[in-house]
Amino acid sequence: MSRTNYLGEFEELILTMVLVVGDEAYGNTIVKAIKGHQHREVNLSSVHITLYRLEEKGYLESSMGGATKERGGRKKRYFKITNTGKALLQEMKDARTSLWKLTPQLQFKTV
Amino acid sequence: MAGLPKIPQRLFQWYCNPLLEEQILGDLQEQFEEDVESFGRTKAKWRFTWNVIRFFRPGIIKDLGGSTKLNYYGMLKLNLLLAFRNFKKHSNMFLINLTGLATGLACTLLIYLWVNDELSVDKFHDNDDRLYQVMENLHYSEATQTSKSTSGLLAKNLAKEFPEIESAVSIAPPFLIDDMVLTNEESVFKGIGQFVGKDFFNAFTYPLVEGNPKHVLSDRNSIVLSESMALKVFGSVDDIVGKQIQWESEEMTETVMITGIFEDVPTSSSSQFDFLLSYEHFLGQDDTFHEWGNYGPYAFVLLQEGADADQLNKKIEGYIATKGFEGRRLFLKKYSDNYLYGRYENGRLAGGRIEYVRLFALIAIILLVIACINFMNLSTARASTRMKEVGVKKTLGASRNTLMWQYFTESIAMSFISLVLALFLIVGALPIFNDITGKAIEISFDLNVLLAFLGITTLAGLLAGTYPALYLSKFNPILVLKGKRITSFGEVWARKGLVLTQFTISIILIAAVVIIHKQVDFVQNRSLGYDKDGIVQIVPNGKAAENLETFINEVKNVPGVQNASAIGHSLVTSGFHTYAIDWEGKDPNTPVRFEIAEVTYGLFETLELEFESGRSFSKDFGAEHSKVVCNEKAIAAMGMKADPIGKQFSLWGEEEMEIVGVVKDFHFESLRQGIKPMIFVFDPEEADDVVLRIEKDREIETMAVIQEFHNEYNPGYGLEAKFLSDDYQAQYKSEQKVSTLSRYFAAIAILISCLGLFGLAAFSAERRAKEIGIRKILGSSLLGIVRLLTVDFTRIVGLAILIALPLSYLVTQNWLQGFAYRIQPEWWLFVVIGGLVLILAWVVIGWQTFKAALINPSEYLRNE
Repeated sequence: MSRTNYLGEFEELILTMVLVVGDEAYGNTIVKAIKGHQHREVNLSSVHITLYRLEEKGYLESSMGGATKERGGRKKRYFKITNTGKALLQEMKDARTSLWKLTPQLQFKTV
Repeated sequence: MAGLPKIPQRLFQWYCNPLLEEQILGDLQEQFEEDVESFGRTKAKWRFTWNVIRFFRPGIIKDLGGSTKLNYYGMLKLNLLLAFRNFKKHSNMFLINLTGLATGLACTLLIYLWVNDELSVDKFHDNDDRLYQVMENLHYSEATQTSKSTSGLLAKNLAKEFPEIESAVSIAPPFLIDDMVLTNEESVFKGIGQFVGKDFFNAFTYPLVEGNPKHVLSDRNSIVLSESMALKVFGSVDDIVGKQIQWESEEMTETVMITGIFEDVPTSSSSQFDFLLSYEHFLGQDDTFHEWGNYGPYAFVLLQEGADADQLNKKIEGYIATKGFEGRRLFLKKYSDNYLYGRYENGRLAGGRIEYVRLFALIAIILLVIACINFMNLSTARASTRMKEVGVKKTLGASRNTLMWQYFTESIAMSFISLVLALFLIVGALPIFNDITGKAIEISFDLNVLLAFLGITTLAGLLAGTYPALYLSKFNPILVLKGKRITSFGEVWARKGLVLTQFTISIILIAAVVIIHKQVDFVQNRSLGYDKDGIVQIVPNGKAAENLETFINEVKNVPGVQNASAIGHSLVTSGFHTYAIDWEGKDPNTPVRFEIAEVTYGLFETLELEFESGRSFSKDFGAEHSKVVCNEKAIAAMGMKADPIGKQFSLWGEEEMEIVGVVKDFHFESLRQGIKPMIFVFDPEEADDVVLRIEKDREIETMAVIQEFHNEYNPGYGLEAKFLSDDYQAQYKSEQKVSTLSRYFAAIAILISCLGLFGLAAFSAERRAKEIGIRKILGSSLLGIVRLLTVDFTRIVGLAILIALPLSYLVTQNWLQGFAYRIQPEWWLFVVIGGLVLILAWVVIGWQTFKAALINPSEYLRNE
């Protein structure tokens, strides 16, 4: 795996979440999804920054949605995973699985 | 729907990259609304604020610096390119603008250099802030007079009695110093000498090359030379301290020892001299200046550091009064202020050279404004041809600001190109300018001058660019691109108003110049009460000075010389005077100033002064030393109504003088002043200027004969002779300078204005070419078309004339108040000026108009 394809833990989380949330993926839904699935409080700003970074790297693409009443008439930016992004996730998952196969069976001993 | 807290929202909008602002703020608001539901408003606000702070991180914050600068660079480059293309495309307009702006800038910068030079005069002394001149206000019956001259003993006594004074210096006033020469065995060297007190070099900063500033003048027989004087006399400045040299004036010849050499007096000093002698010589000449009642010397004081000048002022005010001269009040005046603020009226400061400085600073601003108006007018007039450019740019997203910058770039580029040309003009004009102003200004690019030049140029660019930038950037792109004319009334009026301003100012300047010229002419040609033409003054020296009477008698025999005599008083300015005259019934509290002229036989006859009554001094009456002749003003001052002949008064508290004659008043001062009381005493010893009347129309031959006679009579000495009328002209030197300079500037102002008018006329003829074509086809005559094109401009110029003439009358009246004898400008003078300006404007417009009216209509219409 080359350095360019490297994703940090948080980036991988966000990328996966965009996939999980699907069509409704934008800043707030992702924050909520992380909270819902992972019980983890993340700040909106970190999510935004990461989304932009992933878009820049080409794993996400985005488009502006229509205006809604709730947000003071402001548009949402929806994010969608690209094929490169999907491939990367797949690759990372495979890499992890193959690594796991090499480890001895985990045994949780009672101390 | 809950509104977001204002302050954090503003903060966010301020730092956030505008591209990200909408989506993030949307998300934030969504979250905020949910937070309001779950936590309540207050906590939601805090959370929102916290979020805003968390978003303040790289990636969200908008770009600073870096790339922004690059963008500006690109824009600047493009704008400059556009500016230059525009200059090239409209090269006629460009040349008009260039000529106007460059001339205007050159004048402004030249005046700046002059003003700067004036303001720096006398400011170079190290102790400038503590250096004061002691002056007097003399209160007498009808008015108060301010005088620099004071009693000869004042400086010494002030220094003794007031501890606030560190040192005091007396200086003999230039008007009481005779011409002096230095002689070195065989050669004679002329130079300007001054008698100064021994602390001179402590108070004033004239650096010494040789000698100790504390002691160079402490000995009575010491002399300090300037470097160039030393070079002239000895050919070197080395090893001359300690050498002896002779100095001679009309009355004295003494051997003195050189004790020091000072660097040549800088041009920024108002007092210029080549050598300095001890004040003791001057004081020792006679007892005159040991009297408190007499005037003459100047007194300067250097205050102790930290001494309060105002307090000292109060303490010394009545000092002379304690010596028995009520009505004479002393006051301190900062020495370096005297050059610019030297004119007093009735005891109060009334201005001085600063008026000229202000006047010319004003002229500089006016010229710059006139030149800038040209640029404004031509740019806005041309705007209609650039409307499409603006429309396209705006449609493509250019903001008003960007467009304004484009026009500012254009105008500033224009002004800097003009600066280059202006610098050439300045270099070319500087010798003439220096000649007129009597200065030695050079262009030295020190930081201040450089900054001022760049500053003034940028200012001119901004000034010229403001209106076009605001105006051109205002166009509505939709209207412009649809091809609608949006020339508003406002715009046309603004342009007319600007032309009006230009011409009004130019006409005021011209009228002022004419009035100044006439006044100067008037005072120079006014009858003085005697015929000054043909009067020659000779400064006697050598054998002539030894026995003046013989010399006078001999010179009378020279063919062409009609009469000769001698007088001790100047004939063009006030000089030796006294208040110590007492007569019967004099009010002791109102001192009156009398000029005292020492004369010998034949003076009144030589000058051809008329007698009101009585007689002249004559050998037929024996001893004349206790007799006086008065002018009418003196008789009036003493209140002698009927038949003053034979009456007596006392001079200097002792001598009883008998009035033997009264001469009619004549002018012996500049016509700024009225005629003052004057008494003539018979004193051939002190009458030391020979006065000749020579035959008119034979001046040159006669002068040659006198020269010959003098060479023979007085070998080894040059003849120092001058015409009184030349001296008389010299009194109005500053008026003449102003007159000459303002003539140039007024000419430039009207030229620049006409240049602008020319440009506008050319432009409107070009714009209306089709209209003219159609009119011609429909049968309009040549004259009709000319009238069509000129009527607008004529109206503006006519209005300018109507506004300017009364204004110029007021302005010049104000200036004329400064003269005791002045012209009353005739009304037709103003009419003539107005007419001439109008004709000039017609000539300028007419050229374009006729060219336009003579076109072949088919040439302009065939493309339709």
